[in-house]
Amino acid sequence: MRANRWFTPWIFVIPALVWLLAFSVWPSINTVRLAFTNASPLGGVSRFVGLQNFQTMFADPQVWEALLNSVVYMAVCLPLLTILPLLIALLVEKRLPGIAFFRTAFYSPVIASAVVVGLIWTWILDDRGVINEMVKALGIVQGPLPFLTDRWLLLFSAISLTVWKGLGYYMIIFLAALGNVGKDLHEAAALDGAGAIRRFWSVTMPGVRGTMTLVGILVCVSALRVFSELYILTNGSGGPGGQDQSVVMLIQQYARGFTGNLGYASALSLLLFAVTLVPMLVLARLNSKAQQ
Amino acid sequence: MLGTGVAALMLSGCSGGSGGSGSSGDGSINGTITVQTWALTPKFSDYLDGVKNGFEKEHPGVTVKMVDQPGDGYSDKVLSQASSNSLPDVINLPPDIALPLAKHGYLQNVGKSDSSLASTYVAGALDAYKYKGLDGTYGYPWYLNTDVDYWNKTMLSDCGLDPSKVPTTTDQLFDQAATMHQHCPDKYLMSRKPGLGDFTLAGVKVLNDDGTKFTFADSPEAVDLIARYAKAYQQKYMPPSVLNSDYLGNSTLFTQGKVAWTTGGATSISDFEKNNPSLKGNVIVSPALDTAPLYVQGLSVSAKSKNLATAEAFAKYMTDAKNQEAFAHLVNIFPSTKSSQSDPFFSKDDGTPNGKARVLANEALKTAKNLTPVEANSAMSTFLDQQISLAMKGETTPKEALQTAQTKMNTLLANG
Repeated sequence: MRANRWFTPWIFVIPALVWLLAFSVWPSINTVRLAFTNASPLGGVSRFVGLQNFQTMFADPQVWEALLNSVVYMAVCLPLLTILPLLIALLVEKRLPGIAFFRTAFYSPVIASAVVVGLIWTWILDDRGVINEMVKALGIVQGPLPFLTDRWLLLFSAISLTVWKGLGYYMIIFLAALGNVGKDLHEAAALDGAGAIRRFWSVTMPGVRGTMTLVGILVCVSALRVFSELYILTNGSGGPGGQDQSVVMLIQQYARGFTGNLGYASALSLLLFAVTLVPMLVLARLNSKAQQ
Repeated sequence: MLGTGVAALMLSGCSGGSGGSGSSGDGSINGTITVQTWALTPKFSDYLDGVKNGFEKEHPGVTVKMVDQPGDGYSDKVLSQASSNSLPDVINLPPDIALPLAKHGYLQNVGKSDSSLASTYVAGALDAYKYKGLDGTYGYPWYLNTDVDYWNKTMLSDCGLDPSKVPTTTDQLFDQAATMHQHCPDKYLMSRKPGLGDFTLAGVKVLNDDGTKFTFADSPEAVDLIARYAKAYQQKYMPPSVLNSDYLGNSTLFTQGKVAWTTGGATSISDFEKNNPSLKGNVIVSPALDTAPLYVQGLSVSAKSKNLATAEAFAKYMTDAKNQEAFAHLVNIFPSTKSSQSDPFFSKDDGTPNGKARVLANEALKTAKNLTPVEANSAMSTFLDQQISLAMKGETTPKEALQTAQTKMNTLLANG
């Protein structure tokens, strides 16, 4: 085969392209299509229902509650999982004896199964769990703190779990980014009399700004799509009264089962997509402005 | 796991329409069929192999492939099989899962080619596979079960209650829960939320006659019942975690010795003792409160089976009196065949708690009723459960909670 034939590059691209079309592009298009139908999992004839699913969705208080939960989840996770991992990365970046132990310790929750982690935290946060027993022993409160039954405490318990589990993951990303910040810049700043904090703001931060944007986007997407933590901590119930459901939990609830409403679940998926797009665009815009 | 644990989890359903027709089912018995059971292996592999071999011996030229699916996620598995047109020829289905499949034409009306159903199976079991709005019968009843009550003797004694006078009604249960709380504020008698079955027990009309609308929210008895549970929860007669617990949470807490009462099938006692040996000799068995629930398992036949006659013949063979009785001698379940009802094995107390549970359950089955309408599927039950939780927490009134749940459930019922 001659290398300059027009189709040669396509031979290499086609397998990936087919994969992408089959498992990414087509499902996305199909989700948009389904959102305007009353499709059910058992097949049969699905009817075009226009905007009915969207009208139902916007009139459903459960949807707004789930959306609020997802947005609060994102709003709390975003600063915590952008700043804390950077600070930890700065701490473990130093080449000191035993630093590998700390790097491993911070990273170990990442490789633990979400289900196992969730179950452990359920035991920790239970009415008779470690935290409540400690608080009781110290005489701080009378009764147990309702970590798993109070609407907001439950949500923040799940957020704590997400932050604890995500710290190590984003720390690794920041470690890689910090490695790319030139040492000579730090040395030059030090020679000019800049202290550690000044060097952080003037040298480190500009060097990792792009990474921070990337981490921010990743955090936003994963926080808005949270499922495992809430599902496990609430035993699949979404908390008392389903008040702690995330949008993804709601999608799962509506899409599953013999009478699942795939059309409505697809409409919810589009809502989640739209909501996810907003912080991503904002972060990308802020980053490009900062670079200018 | 076998018995009411799974059955109770899965006993829910959806609404009616027009059933599948399939072919006549009067062809010759030959070819290969696939039979799918639910969470029966490896414990009952020998029994299943015996049934398979017996049928193949009776019908030379027939090959039966047995497939067993795990307990968790069974309905999702069946749903994926149905939507991909790969349902096995014979499928172990409880009535609630069979209903949507029958409605969408996936199941064979087995009554069409078999006029002996009514004379073979007990009426309650057979009726479970006859649906409002659908003509016919969509499953051969297999084994039956019900709930009995289990009580922790030591906890009752330690907390001011008499183990020889355990509650027999819901009213007594509330009274004794209050007594227990007075004596042992950190221990609990109750650890469950009410559901549709409890409404039925309270005399509430849960569903209208043609199965098209839920009607429980219009009943003052249902509102009163939720109010009682809410009061009990707020007075700490139940653990706070009950609002996040499903049915299995109830038996898990009992196994852990955290609550003094649970419901369970006649098979449950061996599980309790296996998982917590300290419960051995410490569990009292009594009949279910008020009226016992009826749980039915059955074998349905795929309307799209290429060997319909063989599939129907096998389902009938597996659910005949001989095979059902053999199964029921292995584990505390009860045959659905009329001729097995007089078998002395089920009414003979051998002096063990397990034997007592079997005798009590067998007795209860004579009056047991299907307390939860098969039209109420898991999505509906989940929503009702969420609203009841809010009412129990005091964040909404029982009346509002039930109205909200009913409105949503009727929407889901209409979609079904």
